[in-house]
Amino acid sequence: MHDAQILKSKQSDGVGLLQRFSLETLQIGALALAIVVFAIIVQLNFPVFLSLPNINVMIVNFLPEAIIALGMTIVIITAGIDLSVAGIYPFSAIIVGLLLLAGAPIPLAIIITLAAGAFIGAINAFISNTFRVHPFIATLAILLILRGVNIIITGGSPVSGFPEAFAIVGQRGIDFGTFLLRYSVFIWLALALLIGYLLRNHRFWRLSYFIGGNRRSARMSGVNVERYLYFVYMLSGALAAVAGVIVASQFNAASNSYGQNLELRVITAVVIGGADLNGGAGSVLGSMLGVLFIAMIYNAFAMSGISTYWQDVVVGAMLLASILMGEVLKRRRAN
Amino acid sequence: MTPVLEIRRASKSFGSHRVLHEVSFGVDAGEVHALVGENGAGKSTLMNIISGIHRRDAGEILLNGESIDPTDPWQARQLGISVVFQELSLTPNMTVAQNIFVRREPTSALGLVHWRQLNDDARALFERIGIDISPTELVGNYSVGIQQIIEIAKAISFDAKVLIMDEPTSALSESEVDRLFSIIAELKQQGVAIVFISHKLGEVLRIADRVSVLRDGEMVGVVNPSHSNQDEIIHMMVGRSLGDLYPAKGVVSDEILLEVEGLSHPPLFRDISFSLRRGEILGIAGLVGAGRTEVARAIFGADRYSRGSVKLAGIKLDLKSPRQAIEKGIVYLTEDRKVMGLFLSMTMRDNIVSSALARFTDALGLLKHRAIVNESLRAIKQNDIRPRDDLLSMTSLSGGNQQKSLLAKCLSANPKVLIADEPTRGVDVGAKVKIHQALRDLANRGIGVIVISSELPEVLGLSDRVVVFREGHVSAVLDGDNIAQADVMRYAVQ
Repeated sequence: MHDAQILKSKQSDGVGLLQRFSLETLQIGALALAIVVFAIIVQLNFPVFLSLPNINVMIVNFLPEAIIALGMTIVIITAGIDLSVAGIYPFSAIIVGLLLLAGAPIPLAIIITLAAGAFIGAINAFISNTFRVHPFIATLAILLILRGVNIIITGGSPVSGFPEAFAIVGQRGIDFGTFLLRYSVFIWLALALLIGYLLRNHRFWRLSYFIGGNRRSARMSGVNVERYLYFVYMLSGALAAVAGVIVASQFNAASNSYGQNLELRVITAVVIGGADLNGGAGSVLGSMLGVLFIAMIYNAFAMSGISTYWQDVVVGAMLLASILMGEVLKRRRAN
Repeated sequence: MTPVLEIRRASKSFGSHRVLHEVSFGVDAGEVHALVGENGAGKSTLMNIISGIHRRDAGEILLNGESIDPTDPWQARQLGISVVFQELSLTPNMTVAQNIFVRREPTSALGLVHWRQLNDDARALFERIGIDISPTELVGNYSVGIQQIIEIAKAISFDAKVLIMDEPTSALSESEVDRLFSIIAELKQQGVAIVFISHKLGEVLRIADRVSVLRDGEMVGVVNPSHSNQDEIIHMMVGRSLGDLYPAKGVVSDEILLEVEGLSHPPLFRDISFSLRRGEILGIAGLVGAGRTEVARAIFGADRYSRGSVKLAGIKLDLKSPRQAIEKGIVYLTEDRKVMGLFLSMTMRDNIVSSALARFTDALGLLKHRAIVNESLRAIKQNDIRPRDDLLSMTSLSGGNQQKSLLAKCLSANPKVLIADEPTRGVDVGAKVKIHQALRDLANRGIGVIVISSELPEVLGLSDRVVVFREGHVSAVLDGDNIAQADVMRYAVQ
């Protein structure tokens, strides 16, 4: 029955777009095209859209999503999911704030907070590894717990009044007159470039694709899958903590209300960027473009004065479109 | 000459259940040593002990005369013992080279991968075994057969001195089997010791230098294929000979149940005509790719056909979907139970009644639980599925029992015609006998049974008549008790 398949299994080398480029390249290319088209349309109506100050606003508004998406990308590549980031993010803003108010030196406060984020990630991995619970449930439980904890430790009101020097993390930057390029943008850029490069070229980091693509085969190849997932969720937790520290500095305050629905925005961006929830596919470049696209949509709607309820409709439609495109490409290629 | 790999008096029990008892086994450099036995005979356990998945209770494993003690397959591979497991262990969305060298990629001191080197290494490996596969292609774009070959390439890339293959041909077409065998010959030349585990005795006799037979955890004997035959080996495996393997033929009525006339769907098949009588087992023989499955699926309404007709009890059918076929009383037992036949994560009970839920629902569409339980218990008993616990998930059953469950599922739809496509693929001899008996029982109850099989002895042993397919058309219809294998083969290939 499958003889036909065998015959055509590789006789068509290099015919057409579909064969020449990988699925990943095609998806990222299509997303980049969508971004350019969208930007041009908005720009024609609102000339301020692509001005440097406005671009800076877009980046700063979505900096937490962009940083957290780095970890989420790897989590999703391993066929997992991490909802707890939306709890870790305000949690770490609060923790770093409380430590600073208690008089801890700034570097120490930041290090402890990042370690706390990683520790919560380790709990996620522990639950899903040990009890064979799907990470969706494990991280959902942790998210709910953290939301409660965040209110309990703050009493529901924001923590504020941090030392002046802490402002350097998320408030200060290079002044270009019309806009302020914050140092935190460089933190994100450095992390994105580093993680993107390692995920492409580093032996250890690449294992995430094998784990997501076929967990059994990864195990057969000698990968300690459980231990690797500790690494992945700890990284995701630590990156959420990085975002939390930055936002605490940016607003000079920490509130349990930070990060509402953040996990969904991040997952949406990562999936629009070509990651496969079934695992085995995804890239930092794609995820960053996904975040950029969502940032642009939110920004454009805010600018246009159209009801902002429409922005979610557009983001949802875009998510659907990118998933459908991925499926169509996959099928076309299989034939 | 010391064997490359030697097992001395290995024993293993799980709880009170003795799986292996003082089994000794050896394989020399450049030798293909086949290991045969029914499922449960201990082949997998023996292999798991060698590869370190299980710890033996007693005995010794020697590699080149030195005692070794691997603790997992990865470590065994480092030592030079590579196992190619039955289930493919490749990642479809990664390239061929990435799959082969996962965790062993050539890297810089920082761990960054040298991609060109990686692909060159893969190319060199393929050259060594004389095949042409692109290292940069995604594994998922290759057929299962070629993936199997990639899997073998991966196994020997560990500088394997011993290569153990578990049912390597179960998913391969004839031409792919030939390709695999030429690779095995090449590896033999290079001095690799090969352990070949298979149910297909024909292939075993073709490729093996020695054949060891396991039964109930004990080594029954070692035979030289050039002085032996299938009958003798089967006798050693099960304690009975080929003659007893197939149920006695039944009495076929003259009443035509299913009539296929001029069925065509170029280029897959053209002008297919045959008839099936009540109480008859009609065998369909032919090579893989001759159009047998395609015709079966067309009759079942799963695929379209462009010309011709199918009549059931004289009435012309125009089936648009499998659902309509089941309603009319035609059921199809698929050749790939895992992909198309069973709901693996669900219970045996759910699976057994899944084709006939209409019979087990009331006017409001609610399930009649008591009737479902009764039906599933009845089916389990009738088909002798083990263990007799219908709330077990399908994944926990052996291949043979999964296949019997699939048969039970088809039967719960009360069919008039059953089309069984490769009904015994990948099941052991004991389960095979039971499935054959079940098919014959059905025929004796007046059902028309069509059996499609790539195993000639099965088609001949089971069928009242045999239709031979060749390249999409019927090349012969053979009747009678004494159809010779050679005749069928001639019609299938010439």
